[in-house]
Amino acid sequence: MTDATTPEILATVERLLIEVVGDELTLTGPITLATSFGGDLELESIEFVALAEQLHAHYGARVDFVQWISTKELDQIIALTVGDLVAFIAAAT
Amino acid sequence: MAFAHANQIRFHTAELGAGPTVVMAHGLLVGSLASWYFTAAPVLARTHRVRLYDLRGHGKSDRPTTGYDTATMVDDLAGLTADLTAPFDLVGHSYGALVALGFALRFPARVRRLVVVEAPLPPGQVAEGDAWFAAGPDHLVAALPAPLRDAVAGGRRQAARLLANLRALAEDTTLLADLRAEPDLADDALGQLAAPTLCAYGDRSSCLPAGRRLAAALPAARLVVLPGGHYLHLDAKDALAAAIAEHLGG
Repeated sequence: MTDATTPEILATVERLLIEVVGDELTLTGPITLATSFGGDLELESIEFVALAEQLHAHYGARVDFVQWISTKELDQIIALTVGDLVAFIAAAT
Repeated sequence: MAFAHANQIRFHTAELGAGPTVVMAHGLLVGSLASWYFTAAPVLARTHRVRLYDLRGHGKSDRPTTGYDTATMVDDLAGLTADLTAPFDLVGHSYGALVALGFALRFPARVRRLVVVEAPLPPGQVAEGDAWFAAGPDHLVAALPAPLRDAVAGGRRQAARLLANLRALAEDTTLLADLRAEPDLADDALGQLAAPTLCAYGDRSSCLPAGRRLAAALPAARLVVLPGGHYLHLDAKDALAAAIAEHLGG
């Protein structure tokens, strides 16, 4: 289950996002490392929870998304990009 | 995602961490288990098993048309904690804090420690009241906590979904009528509540007098006033998490 490279992690994150948000996500255009969860995808906070749960189910406890997020201020969380998340996962795995 | 059935409703639940159990309830309307999930819950999860749930009608829980009074929501909470044999800690924000208080009053032996964040008293004074809805969507967005408001301001999807949720709760359920009908807590009942209780309120919140009243009426309560308004878990995120963690202990 190790996603060694950035493209692999990005593909996983995109798949998990589609599971959380549904096909609606594919209408907003391709997801890139620069896509932000707040500004671009406009995730609701409860969808962010669902994403955290999906990440936990996929990567297990070593990718502790919730603890990582808890160290950030709310404006930082809103500005978070897919690239930030991919880099965090790459460092944790 | 995890779901649990209680009181004929399917609830969305989440658990973080390991250790003694603390259950957290969020506030009405704009609240969901995300209110705690991204604020105090990860801090408490370093030493506790934190159980979170979406109140009925909120987040990803079912939205029944009735049962938004605290007595029914105490039944919900009782069902969602039926597996816990040892007394546990209970934390609530706003209306969720009233549910926590109601639970502690009805099941005193089940609650170890209590944290009441910004509980409005009398309950009809809930900051997220019907004035909001009467004033229309623009006013409604303006009344949101600042980070949420900023996110919604330029937004399309988030704003649309938030307003749709609020409208559904206001128009398709008895929530607002239940709020108006919710009786005040009696001070002599509060005087029987032995659980050590932390009352956390914002220095800019209209609910602060309720905090002073609770701290005086509860026999083992302490009031802490933090810089912020009603959405204290956002306004004073770190300070509130630290105060809760200290009150609950290791």
